[in-house]
Amino acid sequence: MTSISSLNKVHHLGQYGNFENKDENQLIKIKEIKNIFIYQVVKFKNSKKNNTEIMVDNLNFPEVLKVNSNDQTRILWMGPENWLVISSKNLLNELNEKFSTTEFAVTDISHSRSIIELQGSDVLEVIKKGSPFDIESLTKNNCTNTVYNGITITIDNIEDSKNQIRIISLRSFGESLYHSVTDACLEYGYKAI
Amino acid sequence: MLFIKCPYCGIRSQNEFAYGGDATVKRPELNKEISDKEWDDFVYNRKSPRGKHLEFWHHISGCRQWFKVHRDTATHEIFKTLKPHEEL
Repeated sequence: MTSISSLNKVHHLGQYGNFENKDENQLIKIKEIKNIFIYQVVKFKNSKKNNTEIMVDNLNFPEVLKVNSNDQTRILWMGPENWLVISSKNLLNELNEKFSTTEFAVTDISHSRSIIELQGSDVLEVIKKGSPFDIESLTKNNCTNTVYNGITITIDNIEDSKNQIRIISLRSFGESLYHSVTDACLEYGYKAI
Repeated sequence: MLFIKCPYCGIRSQNEFAYGGDATVKRPELNKEISDKEWDDFVYNRKSPRGKHLEFWHHISGCRQWFKVHRDTATHEIFKTLKPHEEL
């Protein structure tokens, strides 16, 4: 893993925006998710292989707009026959064993994504400021690709009750996305953790 | 602003899509002798109808799939969306 995270230059710990006279629990928490393994799994167009039986880290590959997850791994649906595996474990060997190279393309893209995790009661408002997607329809363990101020992102709803979501973008858009998101958070006050 | 129903992801804002051209154009059959005029029509010449039109769209900021949209170019009403292999 690289020792320099994608948001290294912009993600500075502290409280920002309208945080004064507010309880810390009322602030939006912003965290960079780093040192994580990300794999893209794509089934070839002509493949006849049925992947519903294949399990990675004891997880099936999810259906449309769904996420299958356990404590360490999340598998996101990205499009037809296209998934993103995000894990704190190195699953490359397991993926290569289970997905034949003649039927699937497995690519390690750990270094090419930025992940921002947001948590707090105003998180949905922050998303609404920049994205046309109906974020209220996204429930726990749902994910979607959409845009945020013109940047293509993936939104992964981790926990409804805590209003905890992850926003994933290409690494090269990471800093711009971070600025966009934190700009939208200023009104509510946020804490970078 | 259009709201387009992606056959894979559901209804989304036009911001997530890119227009991909006329979906009625058919490529000339392989190995068939064709005139310059037919090739010219396939590559360059397009109608610009006012009314119902079948178009390709790309869900570029979503599932990244191509699909067809049957749309009225005057009213912007969308009648149907189809997967690329489906016909109206």
